[in-house]
Amino acid sequence: MRAAAVLRKRLGRGLYLGLVGFVYAFLLLPLVIVVLASLNAGEYLTFPPEGFSLRWYVSFFNSDPFIDSLVFSLWLAFLCMIIATLLGSMVALYVVRFARKWRDQLRLFILMPLLLPEILTAIALLFFYYRIETVLGGLGLEGVGGAFHKTFLGLLIGHVLVTLPFVFLGLSASLYNFDLSLEEAARSLGADKYTTFRRITLPIVKPGIIAGALLSFIISFDLFNISLLLKATGIVTLPIQLFDYVRFEFDPTAAAVSTVSIVITVIAIVLTEKLVGLRSLRF
Amino acid sequence: MARLAVKDLSKRFGEVVAVDGIDLEIEERELVSLLGPSGCGKTTTLRCIAGFETPTAGRILFDGADILGLPPEARNIGMVFQNYALFPHMTVTQNLAFGLEMRRVPKAEMAARIARVLETVQLEGYGERYPRQLSGGQQQRIALGRALVIEPRVLLLDEPLANLDAKLREEMRFFVRSLQKRVGITTVYVTHDQAEAMVISDRIAVMFQGGIHQIGTPTEIYMRPVSREVANFIGLSNFIEARVRGRDEGGAYVLESALGEIRSAHLDSLREGEAVTLIVRPEAIVLLKDKPDRVGANAISGRVKERYFLGNITGYRIACAGDAVLQVQGEPWAAFAIGDPIWCRFDADKTWIIGD
Amino acid sequence: MRANATLLLIAPTVGLLVGFLVIPYLNMVVMSFRTPSTSQVFAPGYTFANYLKAIFDPDFYYLRVLRDTMALGVTTTAICLVLGYPVAYHLARTPSRFKSILYAFILSPLLVGVVVRCYGWMIILGNNDGLINNILRDLGLIQTPIQLMYNTFGVSVGLVHIFLPFMILPILGAIQSIDPALEEAAQSLGATRLKTIFRVVFPLSLPGVQAGSVLVFVLTISAYVTPILLGGFKVVIMPTLVIQQLLDAMLWPFGAALAFILSFSGAVVVYLYFMATSWFMKGIR
Repeated sequence: MRAAAVLRKRLGRGLYLGLVGFVYAFLLLPLVIVVLASLNAGEYLTFPPEGFSLRWYVSFFNSDPFIDSLVFSLWLAFLCMIIATLLGSMVALYVVRFARKWRDQLRLFILMPLLLPEILTAIALLFFYYRIETVLGGLGLEGVGGAFHKTFLGLLIGHVLVTLPFVFLGLSASLYNFDLSLEEAARSLGADKYTTFRRITLPIVKPGIIAGALLSFIISFDLFNISLLLKATGIVTLPIQLFDYVRFEFDPTAAAVSTVSIVITVIAIVLTEKLVGLRSLRF
Repeated sequence: MARLAVKDLSKRFGEVVAVDGIDLEIEERELVSLLGPSGCGKTTTLRCIAGFETPTAGRILFDGADILGLPPEARNIGMVFQNYALFPHMTVTQNLAFGLEMRRVPKAEMAARIARVLETVQLEGYGERYPRQLSGGQQQRIALGRALVIEPRVLLLDEPLANLDAKLREEMRFFVRSLQKRVGITTVYVTHDQAEAMVISDRIAVMFQGGIHQIGTPTEIYMRPVSREVANFIGLSNFIEARVRGRDEGGAYVLESALGEIRSAHLDSLREGEAVTLIVRPEAIVLLKDKPDRVGANAISGRVKERYFLGNITGYRIACAGDAVLQVQGEPWAAFAIGDPIWCRFDADKTWIIGD
Repeated sequence: MRANATLLLIAPTVGLLVGFLVIPYLNMVVMSFRTPSTSQVFAPGYTFANYLKAIFDPDFYYLRVLRDTMALGVTTTAICLVLGYPVAYHLARTPSRFKSILYAFILSPLLVGVVVRCYGWMIILGNNDGLINNILRDLGLIQTPIQLMYNTFGVSVGLVHIFLPFMILPILGAIQSIDPALEEAAQSLGATRLKTIFRVVFPLSLPGVQAGSVLVFVLTISAYVTPILLGGFKVVIMPTLVIQQLLDAMLWPFGAALAFILSFSGAVVVYLYFMATSWFMKGIR
């Protein structure tokens, strides 16, 4: 009787851990496979793999469209990060420290781009940009707007819109948990409000800002829907380029591209770890 | 002129009155404690003095000058917080230097003052450590040092020892007091721990519900409390309701109570027939098996109800006439058992009377 | 004067959101009522024709696609819940030192683009030369390849993979805020681990389950990349159609109408879901 119960418990526990392990494997499988495929000598992935080769990476670096779109994506993500971090930090500061009556509503408003499906936002922006062009054209200002829905600026605005909430969330959490007595201590020692903010508050919430900035970079880099509809003339982001490629080709060059994409993300994370780890000790 | 004066200070938060018209004068070099249970307004009062709260009414004067409207950074105060509030991203030296930097002290002098203060708080050599590398007691000493190195007019401490464990707290009391005496700085000390207040203060201001009930030296507060609340808050008390019958030949008042006749050498004048409350401290009562016959002493009979051993004393609860229970503290080795009939003796000059 | 200075902090962002979010969405609503045209983005005039077309013709096609989309959303959400809940519970309660590594495992797929993740599945599920088919063929278990891709199965696998973290994280948060002492109390009263989870933990974690379910559902019905890459032209859902109208057919007003019908239907399903779960929650309160 007891033995049966113990056995049942063991079995149950085994099943439970097995299921959990399976899900983790499931989550990581495609990423691992992509990396393996990129290093595979053959065109199709078999088990055991055919052999080790870097030919797909060679193919990638020789491909102008891929390299161009990679550079473009990095540049776009970088700009997006700067702007989103700047704006997001300012809003987070206001909402946590200064907002009185409309705090919750303001919070919700800023998180709106997160709550609305990205594809709808992309469509809405496309229509709107076209509207701007029409209006400008009607005013005889064709040259100014041009094809706004195909410009870099339009694309950048879309990216910033969608990534700003992440910066906001990261920083407002840090600010919310901030120990106010540290600021009071600084003021009791003679520092005015601005000095206190600069010397005490900012250095301590820096990790929150950097985490938000990193997140906005990564998200912008991987963004699809907005980049698809607001394609700038002549150039696309890496995800779009990759998408067009894999729809019709089964060539593991795409795997090399994907792996590079993963590596860039990992580098960004590790870099931030180092940065945030060191910075929080100094001011 | 008093170094720090608080006149008719009030502070309300919406409907809630946190501080209700208090007056306080603190002389130079004096350490005054604001003592009371949580919610009594002591911390709010301190924060008003520091400038982190704006009073709803009243004035705060430093050396006779009204400082209302001055932001905290301009008041030249030194403040020690309950959770130390040491800047986590700065070393000990940088923490200590911060206030000096705000005052534009030249580098050479800064280094000298920091070295001196580290010596004073007995933490030489800890300059390059970060707060998280220090123990609670060490952090508290650095917080103290940071407030003192800027040589402020007034030192404000907000329950600075509350986060330390009991033994350390006791040691730190003496440390804080001797440091304050040595530096000679005017100090306001907020605490809810009455033993702490008694040990370190020149005077104690006992606060309840936004008001000060009594200001006095520790002895005055303990021996001659002005109200039930004060008597209850500081140490244990026995309260006996009585009525004044008259005075005897020796000048002591004779009172009639449920426990019998009691004599009190109370100093203030009382009217005949007045209803009063008599206070006698547990340590003033001596337990005897036989009826005491000492002249001038009071003798109440009763039965031992409860008994508990605390190490340095044995506490008793004695059931007396009319449901009254007297709390008595006796020597740890006395041998009175529960149920024993007993006599309680206390001298007339060990009593104190509070009017109702 | 101070109040004005601090308002400067939010002015640019609020301006950005109003100008490039609120107004475009309102504009999109208007767009859905415009007359479509093949020669330009839209023709002059306003009409209900777009919505009527979406609902009625041809042959209720669009409604069927809508139904398929909703069904896909519900099944994906259900699978994510079944797979995600044990993982969330495990991570919340495990004393293991690997907690942060496991957390990274759950987050890492999110940080890699959706295209990369789908491509990974394409390699695995490929109908002719995918990894699974290759292994099974080499082992001699099958002769002809099994269709794992370009069907609902492949799309579902992809969708579940992409959105699983969005189910796990809210549930993780909810379970972490449940006092472990409650489970210990239940066990001390005789409940098995499983019973404890069903009777104590799950009801208390319901807000997290709700949040995760709604999130996964809304994300699934608006997914574009995964159904195209893993479903090809065989699996058609609403987002595919909407984008088609915008980029291929150039019938922007019609696309807008489809998008709103999709959103509205999604909102209705979410609302019904909330009704059902609040009724359930009242039972346990």
